[in-house]
Amino acid sequence: MTNDVLVIGAGLAGLATAWQASLHGKGVRVIAKGWGATHWHAGCVDVLGYWPVESETPVTGPATTLPDLLTANPQHPYALVGLARLEAALDGLKQLCTEAGYPLVGSLAKNWRLPTAVGAARPTCLAPATMTAGDLDGDAPMLLVGFKQLPDFYANVAADNLVQQGIPARHVTLDLPALAGRNFTTAVNLARFMQQADFRAAVAQAVKLHLGEAARVGFPAVLGLEEATAVHQDLQAQLGHPIFEIPGLPPSVPGIRLHRILKSAIEKNGGRVYDGMEAVGFESEGGRVTAVHTETSGRPRQHRYEQVVLATGGILGGGIVTNHAGEVCEVVFNLPLHHPENRLEWFRRDFLDKQGHPIYRSGISVNENFQPVNGQQTGNGRVVYQNLYAAGNTLAGFEAIRERSFDGVALATGFVVGNLVGN
Amino acid sequence: MVSNIWEAQLDITPLAHKPVELTLDQCIKCNICVTACPVTAVTDLFPGPKYVGPQAGRFRHQAQPSPDHSVDYCNGCRVCNMVCPTGVKIAEINGRARAHIVQSGQVPLRRKLRNNLVARPELMGKVGQPLAPIANVLLHSGFGRFFAKLLLDIAPNAPLPRFSGERFSRWARKRPDAAHSDRKVVYFHGCSTEYFEARVGKAAVQVLEANGFEVIVPPQNCCGLPLLSNGEFAAAQAYHESNIHHLVDYIKQGYVIVGTSTSCTLTLKEEAPEMLAYHTPDARLLTANTFDIHEFLVHLLDAGELKTDSLKPIPLSLAYHPPCQYRAHRLGRPSMEMMTLIPELTIIESQAACCGVGGTYGYKAEKYDITMAVGKSLFDFVREVNGPIAVCDSETCRWNIAAATGVPFVHPIELLAAAYGYEPEGPLQEVIRRLRDCQSPNLPVSQ
Repeated sequence: MTNDVLVIGAGLAGLATAWQASLHGKGVRVIAKGWGATHWHAGCVDVLGYWPVESETPVTGPATTLPDLLTANPQHPYALVGLARLEAALDGLKQLCTEAGYPLVGSLAKNWRLPTAVGAARPTCLAPATMTAGDLDGDAPMLLVGFKQLPDFYANVAADNLVQQGIPARHVTLDLPALAGRNFTTAVNLARFMQQADFRAAVAQAVKLHLGEAARVGFPAVLGLEEATAVHQDLQAQLGHPIFEIPGLPPSVPGIRLHRILKSAIEKNGGRVYDGMEAVGFESEGGRVTAVHTETSGRPRQHRYEQVVLATGGILGGGIVTNHAGEVCEVVFNLPLHHPENRLEWFRRDFLDKQGHPIYRSGISVNENFQPVNGQQTGNGRVVYQNLYAAGNTLAGFEAIRERSFDGVALATGFVVGNLVGN
Repeated sequence: MVSNIWEAQLDITPLAHKPVELTLDQCIKCNICVTACPVTAVTDLFPGPKYVGPQAGRFRHQAQPSPDHSVDYCNGCRVCNMVCPTGVKIAEINGRARAHIVQSGQVPLRRKLRNNLVARPELMGKVGQPLAPIANVLLHSGFGRFFAKLLLDIAPNAPLPRFSGERFSRWARKRPDAAHSDRKVVYFHGCSTEYFEARVGKAAVQVLEANGFEVIVPPQNCCGLPLLSNGEFAAAQAYHESNIHHLVDYIKQGYVIVGTSTSCTLTLKEEAPEMLAYHTPDARLLTANTFDIHEFLVHLLDAGELKTDSLKPIPLSLAYHPPCQYRAHRLGRPSMEMMTLIPELTIIESQAACCGVGGTYGYKAEKYDITMAVGKSLFDFVREVNGPIAVCDSETCRWNIAAATGVPFVHPIELLAAAYGYEPEGPLQEVIRRLRDCQSPNLPVSQ
């Protein structure tokens, strides 16, 4: 295997980059400090949930709204990606997941409106088939099922909130003999339990007693890890109604499933994905990155690759850090950043301000080839290193949290950069 | 950057070091470590790294007894550290919490005796190896096992190794044909090579000599990891100080330390200084100049200084488990990189997080079943690959997986030495002989 592409970061952007580059036959290595974004997010692909950012009305279909966004914000990562490549990225991921036996469903034409763990409606573009029966555009009455030992999901809270929005919902919290004696369990452990047939049978039996008029049944997102589709189908058959998962607090079981599917796709193509490897420095010569250094048990190790992709995330992912002196820094290459100059401008007054906080728009400015450039605005400026690219939420010029564009930007920019460095 | 990797680096700039306790505050409670923990996945006795580590850490105080003993079910695999997105030193927090339980006298006497015995492979080796024929029969008899369980709560099926007929250091000392060279390295053999598997050390010496090195085997001690894992920090520190005393003069003469036992090298580099908060200048020199053998060879390869043209083919398809203590070096897979150089050798890598044995953990009666449950998927994998032998860098893992599967294990360096044309010993010898005699290699090999 040749040293072609080094990807720093193993969130959705880094994994998508490595997956695409490895499809082109490139020798790919992914290094990551630890697992991150994929384990934290819902396991869906949110492309665009709200636009303009201050809007309180969710986007019904990203395809209709995206052209406006591109016109209004030509520096948005989606503008660099373009609609055709965004669609190709979504189709690519859908195909990969379908081949892995875990289909993702949806398209740019229409957002799903799926319930969150507190019963709010969440607009998202692609969702696993294990979740879509919860779509709030449907009016079938639902029963939400919690587990006494799972403190990360309160069925009563979610159901009460749904009822207040006019959606018929009831709840039940199970106290199964198999979990008796535990003070608590985690979503991942519960997902492993769900892969046992006798546990599923006990769940089905207990839920049936409470079905009443419910025509669909919602569970926290714990319906199996490796065998999610089989668990979902089996439980659905036993209950005789459509069932759906509701993603909740991290670690996210659906996110872990996506992580595993992408990681094994990379490894199948000969790539390697290493955790516990924090990039701590680099060497450059003649305008190129010649080596990236990672921390080890003894002394830094050098990784010498032809092309380097930075996918370390933004402030949430740890790729960009701030300090009390008001400095905003990119952690590996100390790249020039686009960010509010004055620390007083980082935040707006209200925590849930509809505009979002300016600091979260901080990021790297890149050219049309996703190469970091000097200069405050995306699109112009001089390339910093000829063989360095950036993808995902380390990029400047958008408000991922308010827009709900976190996963869409990560996937699409990773997909595009993976193809750029792969060709 | 060092021009010659075999020249010790004496001018070391201290890395920004985060003290173990301070990393506790970096925990954002995301629970990723809990999802990755191989012990939590199989038992309710261990709630998970986050709960017993950074979370319970907030309720611990040096002056008070530990409020909860479940931290003792951590097997020290360090998978939690590897997956943590914020750099919390969870395994070290757990190790220190266990030491606090031990130091405050909260371990029953019988357990404390047992732990102090299994944590002293050097002592066992010094006593048992000279009596190898008798000791081996006794330790592997139902009688011996019965009393070990009765008296000391040692698991009756624990994967005990066999003492070798000759100590490795004795073999190294009395070799008439030892190579001499200006390029010297110091070899750290560890207890397993010294008392149980001298063949691993011989293979390391052969590979290093084949590449033009003179191998120095100075007096040395147990690295102290088993004591660290059993919370016996004072005794572990005595070993670590002794090793620094034995080794640092060689480093100051410009020689680096190379080891085949992955958990020993990890302890010399990182575990001992981190757990013991022992960061003297000499300890830092040892950290900066200790290498896993394949890490060292990969450096040579990258510098174009490794002989690779004369490697003989080994037409086998073998299972390889990169042990958790090897991955914890955060080097990637140097031994995979070396094994792929051997013509016609196919290595199938396991995806298992851990074999379960956790050094001395799996030798304890109350933990043996957990060890077996953690290792189950790995055992199945090794059986599925169905090679005549399998490969692993860490000794206690080799013994554990071999005992569970019946498949004999070798260290990757043994395959490399065989590819350099040296006559192997142990399980590999029989396999190589069959290949030479054009027989099918895929028959069972005696352990």
